[in-house]
This record gives sequence, structure tokens and C-alpha cells, in this order.
Amino acid sequence: MRMDDPLLCVRGLKVGFPTADGVVKASNIVDLTIRAGETLALLGETGSGKTVLGMAILRLLQPNTRIEGEILYRGRDLLSLPQEEMQKVRGREIAVVLQNSGTSLNPVLRVGDQIAEAITLHRGLKGAEAEAAAVELLDQVRITDPARMAREYPHRFSGGMRERALIALALACNPSFLIADEPTRGLDAVTKREILNLFSEVNRGRSVLFITHDIEAAASLAARVAVMYAGEIIEIGPVDAVLSSPAHPYTRGLLESLPAKGMRPIPGSAPSLIAPPPGCRFFPRCSCGAGRCEIEHPGLVEVGPGHYARCMLYD
Amino acid sequence: MPGRNTALYLSLGVVLAYCGVALSAPVIAPFDPFVISGPPLAPPDATHLLGTNDLSQDIFSRLIWGTRATMVLGFLGAVVSVVMGTAVGIVAGYYGGRVDEAVMRFLDVMMTIPFFPLLLVLTIFFRPGIYVTAVIMGLLGGLGSVRIIRSQVLSLAVADFVVGTKALGARDGYIMARHILPNVLPLVGVKFVTSAQHFMLVGIGLGFLGMGDPNVVDWGQMIERASKNGGIVLGLWWWLIPPGLAVTVISLALAWFAYACEERINPRFQVMRV
Amino acid sequence: MHGVCCMIDVCDLKTYYSRGFLHRTSVRAVDGVSFGIEKGETLGLVGESGCGKTTLGRSLLRLIEPTSGRVIFDGTDIMALSRRDLRRFRPRMQMIFQDAYASLNPRMRIRESIAEPLRIHGLENRAGIGRRVRDLIEMVGLNEEHLNRRPYELSGGQNQRVVLARVLAMEPEFIVADEPTAGLDVSVQAQILTLFRDLGRDYHTACLYISHDLGVVRAMSDRVAIMLKGRIVELGPTTDVLDHPCHSYTRRLVAAPGADRGFSRPAPCPAPSGSPAMVEVQSGHWVEAAAW
Repeated sequence: MRMDDPLLCVRGLKVGFPTADGVVKASNIVDLTIRAGETLALLGETGSGKTVLGMAILRLLQPNTRIEGEILYRGRDLLSLPQEEMQKVRGREIAVVLQNSGTSLNPVLRVGDQIAEAITLHRGLKGAEAEAAAVELLDQVRITDPARMAREYPHRFSGGMRERALIALALACNPSFLIADEPTRGLDAVTKREILNLFSEVNRGRSVLFITHDIEAAASLAARVAVMYAGEIIEIGPVDAVLSSPAHPYTRGLLESLPAKGMRPIPGSAPSLIAPPPGCRFFPRCSCGAGRCEIEHPGLVEVGPGHYARCMLYD
Repeated sequence: MPGRNTALYLSLGVVLAYCGVALSAPVIAPFDPFVISGPPLAPPDATHLLGTNDLSQDIFSRLIWGTRATMVLGFLGAVVSVVMGTAVGIVAGYYGGRVDEAVMRFLDVMMTIPFFPLLLVLTIFFRPGIYVTAVIMGLLGGLGSVRIIRSQVLSLAVADFVVGTKALGARDGYIMARHILPNVLPLVGVKFVTSAQHFMLVGIGLGFLGMGDPNVVDWGQMIERASKNGGIVLGLWWWLIPPGLAVTVISLALAWFAYACEERINPRFQVMRV
Repeated sequence: MHGVCCMIDVCDLKTYYSRGFLHRTSVRAVDGVSFGIEKGETLGLVGESGCGKTTLGRSLLRLIEPTSGRVIFDGTDIMALSRRDLRRFRPRMQMIFQDAYASLNPRMRIRESIAEPLRIHGLENRAGIGRRVRDLIEMVGLNEEHLNRRPYELSGGQNQRVVLARVLAMEPEFIVADEPTAGLDVSVQAQILTLFRDLGRDYHTACLYISHDLGVVRAMSDRVAIMLKGRIVELGPTTDVLDHPCHSYTRRLVAAPGADRGFSRPAPCPAPSGSPAMVEVQSGHWVEAAAW
């Protein structure tokens, strides 16, 4: 594999969840690549399919999910790996910082033990050595008094501290690729800044897929950003280009709805993923849509160096 | 394994059938249960479908009449138990503080006294009829459900929608009836069915020990009489087995009904977050 | 410190919790807070998690009983009211919570949730209730088909609109909004906040807007109060405080990324005076004199 070959390459990924009302087509990704050492932000709102994509890479979705396509990691298709091989990849090669919910850490196990578990699993250290390594990790993520906190239970950790613990857990085995699912959700402004600083520090040189709905966070951490809407990538490119001169009407609408930029809401709401609109999925809410947009499904078109948008305006 | 729907309808059918039998006993029983109606210890035949007992009473009629006692003890007891447990549980959980403390301490004391022996002692001393027995069982048995309901109410009482309704200016009574109670009903429903089942069996037990009202036919009494007066020794299966079988069937039906209702009770919502 | 004809006048409000069974410790959630809000004005309340802003919001409406202090609402001290009198006051001051889904009874349909305040206070008869509910649901941007649904069938943003309809049914004069858009997506947040702002203007409601998001506070409030550990450390017109923060804590908040761009050099601030009283730095812009 050459140096500038992409580390991760997603091709033609389609994810569907069968439900009582029909199949929810959560993901319709044509192509996505991440190079070694690069941070790509996956920006989208609830229902855009960003978490599904992240979980699909590590095959952490429910068993009855229908997945098609390829996810190539270092040239190997992860979707076709047998379970034992996949288990070797999870945690060691690719790690996930899960969403910081009430149950992201096991409430009845001490935090240090949970981190030590990851270490024992992949690095082979046991007992006291694993514990010591866990404390060291907690120190790396700047938790004060790590030795004491390692012996505490998760409910004693504040939101920001839990996030740090989750990051420590993911970094336990120094993976080459990290998927971070909304690391700043629900945190107040000051804590958010601290977590973002920490995040960029501990991930120097690592490839990161940063899933978020927070535009400012994406702007501060990522080199490239992919904007998702209704299960598709509708714009992708260098973060400065996309956020300062957005090409797709949705991206523009998203930026304009920020309080700092005028708080102009986008009318309507996201489409149902069971029966998405046949043409452009954003058409029903778009202020510049034309007849074509309703019928034809747009492909990604280049609008600048390395900058693509899925919109008929540029076709 | 039959689906939950078959379970629901079958078990409900059995329960309703039993209730029907209990209600229509005077009509469908061929003989008066206390009257001498033929030769003693006679085996089953055309007139006496289950034969006669040592006192020449028709066993089939006694079986039918016995349904009443069981149904009353089970369902009346369950109603009392559930009403008491829910009322106390909601008040204790909603108000918290001293009210809650008082209730909990009282409960702590009462729960150390074993249910059946206490019931037995009360029955021996006061010799109540079946209705009063049912009420006593309900009161004693309801204590257990107070705790469960109270825990659920504790978390409901601080839920935003309850605080919000308080903020609207609603009275406490209104909030407890309109907001807390409906959200506790699933628990209450399940408790009702399991209590009914429990009390029916306890009722049979009391009857077996001779604590029941002698003027009322009950299955426990029948079993006791049968086993004491040679039912086992003489192999008189038609005397010994039917009452036991009858209570087993209703007990299983109630258990099955509770199982079938389980799924319907939980709000079936599935919100997908991608 | 505040105008003569304030709608809400808070004087030295304190809410202390005591914790622990054997070893009682006191948590000073709200530690002597004073401010005023005029009719039609929105005061933003900003602070980190744990600074006491939620407790303050709830204490103002006596949803949590404060330990001491006065809250004078349109001339009446609501702290001195009996429970029955307070209940009659309630329609005039309402609260919007952060989690919209938790704010609605999961077993009640939307129609019933919105009609409930009207029923409790006997504001309308049956026919009138039906009409009001329909008007309210349209006012918040939903339609009649939503009335028959239950909260779990609607999204977070839609639920928050229902909550707004429920609160507005009583046409309150004062609303405490406790992070109503936390956890909502940016575009949904924009929709809800625009709706909130427009309705607030139509009804001239006084509002206390609690948030930790400075961008939102800047867009929504006329004045802003910065809260730290149970006390207000800075208070003044929003652009003043956020562009020229005086208190060190405010400066720290404003400097966080995703807060605000447009932070310029601090205005010259007078020397500290020793006691933690508030000092007026500029007209209407007050800072706690202790440590900046």
C-alpha cells in the first residue's frame, strides 16, 4: 500500500433497517475516503445517517440490518471479514468513542476496570499492569487525580469527565483510526472547548472520523468535512471552502440558521427515509429547486478543488 | 409456543367461564350442595356426574358452588389489595418527605410479619365470612405492592411533565389522578392479576385448614374432607381430584393472562435514531 | 439597579439544599441573587452546568421552594402567598423545560395536553376549548393531524412546539425558558427560537432565557446575566456584556470557541472595592466587584 493511498474507503454503501412500516434506507453513500493522519468531519443533523455510517464501519449495527457495498480498510473489505477477524480490528485498529449517554459506561463497574478491560483484551497486559496503564490513560486525557478517579464509578463523573473517560477507552490500544460519535453533545461551552483541545492533542497523526452536528466543532478540528442529509453525502470538501463558501443549498441553510449568522430557519423537516423523494432529497425544502431536481437524482459534482456538491445547480 | 394473541383469548376465556359458572351456580348445579341426594360415596354416574361424598352430597354441584368462594376471595381480595396499594403508594411517592417516611416505617414493621400465619391467626380469632376474609387478605397482601408502586411514583413525581402541570396551577389531587395514576396502571394491572391468583390459592389453603366458613362450599374444604375421610385410601379420585384440578386450571389461566397482557401493557414505541 | 416599573423584581433570592443524613452539608445553589425584568424584555441567564441557573429558574416560580428572598411579580410578593393563592397566580408565570418529550404526559394525546391548562383553570367551555386548541396548534406551526398523536410519535422539535402551545394557552406574562433548544439540531433550533421570539413579541411576555450557549443568548436576549456558583457576577445589555466583558469569568466564557466572534478589547474597568457588591461599570452594566 502506498503512502498516500486512503486508509479507509467506503464504496456504494447502502444500509437499510427493516421495520414494521417498511425498510428505513438510512444510508446511501457512494464514496468516501479518509487518508492516514487526516481528520474528516461528518456533519449532519438527527436522521441524516451519520451515526449509522460510523457504526457500519465497525459492523456494530443490529443483526437484521441490510448492508450492501464495500468498506475497505487498508485494502481489506471489512464487510466480508469473518467475526474473529473483525474482533481483531475493533479496538486495536479502529476504535470508537461512543456517544456520551447514560449507559455509555457500565454503571456497575469502576471506570478504571472498564479501561483496563480494553487494555487486557488487546494489549495482553493483566492485573496490576493493566490498571496502571488505565491510570496513565486517564492522566493523558487530563482527568485530575487519575489514580483515585479510576477507582470511582461512572455516576461520579461529570459529563465532561465521562467524555474524557470514553476517549481514554478508545485510545487504550492506540488505534490507527478513530471514530468519534458526537463527543461534544450536551456539554456547555467551556467544557466543549476543553474537550476539543484535548481531542486534537491526543489524536495528532491519527486518522479520525468525527461525527457531529456541531458546526463550530467540525470547523475547529477537521481538515475536510462531509455534510450529510437524509442518508446521503450532499457536500464534501476542505473545511474552509465548505463552511465559508457552501455550494449546496442545505449547507447554506444550515449555516444561516446559526444564531450568530442570523438564525434563519430552513422551512419544513427532513424526509421520511422509508420512502425518500425520488429526485433530490432536499428538493421539497429547497428555495432554488427546479423541475429537474424533483425527478433526477443528482450526483456529486466538482465545484472547486477537492470540493464536491450533490446539486443540479452545478450539473 | 402459541402466540400472545391465542394466550390472551384462551386465558381470558377460561377466566370468564369460571366467573360465569360462579354467577350461575344456582341455575346450573343439578343439586343443592348441602342436601342429601343419593347414596354416600357413590361413583360417578348419569345423575351424579362426579359421584357423592361421605355426606351424600353431590360432588359436581359442590364443585360448581365452590367456584363462588374462590372467585370472591381471588378477585375481591385483588381489588382491595390493588386499591389500597395504589392509593398509599401514590400518596407516599408523590408527597415524599414525612408522609413517605411514615408510610415506609409502617410498612417495614408490617412486612416482617409473615402473611399467611397472620391471616390464619386473624381467621381463627374472628371467624369472618368470605367477604371479610377477602378484604383482610387484600389489605395484608396489598402492603407488598405499595413499595413497587411508590418507586414508580417517585420517579414520575419529578418528571418534567408533572412539574409542568404543577406549574400550570393544577391541584395535587388532580395531578395524582390524571397524570400519575394512568402511568402506574400497567403495574397495577399486572399486580391485580397476580394477586387474584395468589389469593385464590391462599383461600384454598385456608379452606383446607378448616378456617373457611362452614356455610360456604369451598374447594379447599372439599379436598380436606376427601383426604381425611378415605378419599386417597379408597381411591375415590372423583372426590379428591376435581377441586384441585379446578383451582390449578384457573391459576394457570390467570398466569397466562398476565403473560399475554405484558406486551400490550408496554407502550410500543420504537424511535429510530440514525 | 433596575427600573421602577419592573414586571419581575427579584431581591436577594437564596435557595440552599441540605444534603447528607448524618453529616449535613449545605449546597448553596442560589446564593443571594437580585435582578429585575421589564414587561416584554428577555433577560438571558448564562453559566456553566452546576452554577445554579436551573435552580434559580425553578425557584422564581416556586417549583422549588427558595430558602429566603423576595420575588415581586407585578407588585405582589409571590414568596408570601399561600399555596392556594399561588395556584391562582400560576397561569401568569410559566416554565418551558429542556426536554420537551419529558414535559408531556406520554399517555395523553397532544390535543389533551394543550387543552389541559384551559380545563384546569376553567378558561373556556367545551366548544371554546376545541377552538382554542386548534388556534394554538396552528400558531406554533403544526397542524390538526398532530393533535391526535402522542408525544413519542413526534420529534423533539415538534414536541417543543406543543409545549409552547400548552404554555401560551394561558397567555402568561412571564416565561422561564430553561434551555429549550438544548439537544435539538441547529435548523430545528432556529425554527423554535424564531417562533419563540415572534410569539414573545406578540404577547409582550417578559422572559428569563436560561442557556449555556452564548450565541443563542445573544440572538434572543435584550440583557444578559452571567451566573457563577449561585451568584450573578455580571449583568447588563447583551451586546455590552458579551463584547466588552469586565468580569474574568465572563471573559473566559466569551473566549470559548463556538461562543461569539466579535470580542474586542475590554472596556476600562474601575478598581475592585473589596465587598462582593455590584458596581455599575457603565449605564446598566453591572459587575460583581470582588475579583476581575
